[in-house]
Amino acid sequence: MKSGLTISAVGHALFFAWGIISFSVTPLKTEPTESVPVDIISATDFSAMTAGMKTAPKSENQKPLVEKIAPKNEVKDPTPKVAEKKPEIDASAEAPPPPSIPEPKPKPKVAEAKPPEPKAEKLEKKPDPIAEAIKQEKPDDKPKPEKDEAAQKQAQEVPTPQKRPPRPEAKPEPKFDASKVAALLDKRAPQRQAATGDVLNNKPALGTATGTAAALSQSELDALRAQIQQCWNPPAGAADAKDLIVVVKLELNQDGTLTGQPSLANRSSHPFFQVAAESALRAIRRCQPYKLPIAKYETWRSIEVGFDPKELFRG
Amino acid sequence: MNPADVAQSALPLTSSDLSLFGLFWQAHWIVKGVMLGLLVASVWVWAIVIDKFFLFTRSNRAMNRFEQAFWSGQSLEELYRSLSSKPTHSMAALFVAAMREWKRSFEGQSRSFAGLQMRIEKVMDVTIAREIERLERRLLVLATVGSAGPFIGLFGTVWGIMTSFQSIAASKNTSLAVVAPGIAEALFATAIGLVAAIPATIFYNKFVSDVNKQAQRLEGFADEFSAILSRQIDERAP
Repeated sequence: MKSGLTISAVGHALFFAWGIISFSVTPLKTEPTESVPVDIISATDFSAMTAGMKTAPKSENQKPLVEKIAPKNEVKDPTPKVAEKKPEIDASAEAPPPPSIPEPKPKPKVAEAKPPEPKAEKLEKKPDPIAEAIKQEKPDDKPKPEKDEAAQKQAQEVPTPQKRPPRPEAKPEPKFDASKVAALLDKRAPQRQAATGDVLNNKPALGTATGTAAALSQSELDALRAQIQQCWNPPAGAADAKDLIVVVKLELNQDGTLTGQPSLANRSSHPFFQVAAESALRAIRRCQPYKLPIAKYETWRSIEVGFDPKELFRG
Repeated sequence: MNPADVAQSALPLTSSDLSLFGLFWQAHWIVKGVMLGLLVASVWVWAIVIDKFFLFTRSNRAMNRFEQAFWSGQSLEELYRSLSSKPTHSMAALFVAAMREWKRSFEGQSRSFAGLQMRIEKVMDVTIAREIERLERRLLVLATVGSAGPFIGLFGTVWGIMTSFQSIAASKNTSLAVVAPGIAEALFATAIGLVAAIPATIFYNKFVSDVNKQAQRLEGFADEFSAILSRQIDERAP
């Protein structure tokens, strides 16, 4: 027994000596992780976020990404200023008949005077169909030169048709157009909704894809509400009308017409709810197109409108 | 509590020594006691294991040699004379005990054969029991350490974790750097417990089966020897 005990004790002593020597703690190596910068923004900041890209650099003055300049809605001013009308009348009086426009009573001076006097043109617009005719003419001018070029090319080709009869193959020959490279490289869906705005800006800034820098102001919302309320006949005689709030979700085209059917966004067990909802949907359909600022189309493309009978009677 | 205070209070904990000796030295005294006890148990277990190992190999070899001599046709008287002074292994002790009883019955004046067979078997049974007891001695220690060692180590761990959590609560800082050393030191107790218990369990099982084997071998020899003696008794009986 003694020999066993000594062997055991010596063995343990050796084991612990080895342990003390070799039992070294190697600290775990942690790879330094790249920190992700996180900004904390308020809900207001988020809703006012510029439409942009998540990978784009953060710019100081963030402008919304605009791919297409929105067509300006001509504001029909119901109260034209009489004082400013005067010079406009003078201009029309002096006008000699232009030969280019096939109108019996053309006013070319008005058209010529347009660039220096945009205001006059605006004011004059309503009663005068000529300016519109000129306007219609103008976009037509653009394709014309292209047509001419095509005609010239055809003309050049005409003298030598017999020489090269199997020419139809030459048709699909791709012509390299340096100006279309950007369009060819654009991998985005062509059907996408182009971001519209006042000023072209193709430089994306940091933000969300659907961000909207410009939010509808309260007065514009009120204007929309007023437009709808004109057509709204709330169900009369409903008890507990305060619960009779109908929220309708509608999607609008750029011209203010409805894209699809407006849908109810809330439900209620109120017995008159169905009636009220029907009346609200009817009102929305009846009052289109809505007049809203086109520059903020992104904000009102899809919008929810609440119908509260209380508000109607509140005045 | 400002960050500087936290850093200062965490400093002695985080800069702890994590060597084996350091782990032991920083422990609570109860954990230290548990560790020391387990260390002693481990030393004792290995001492028993080594001792038993030598004992069994030695006795196995001696039994083989004895059986060879016994069945070689050598005179049992001579064999008895050479072994009677110091029976070194259990089979020799069994043989000597039986022969002594045999000789006593014959050398006495009253040649009593009547109960001789029974007496020899009794003597041999007693001898087998005593030898097995000798082989089995201290094996219970192995069994105890094997079953209780992990629990004792766990007790040390639980105690260590308890105290380390108390100190965490006192320092009001829950970073892993504060928690880790205390837990590492507490787990060291379980590690020692397992180190002591695992060999104890393994060797306990092995030695128990060894003891059984040797006991069977002794029983077999006792039966054979008693058969031989019984034949002799019948031959010499008047």
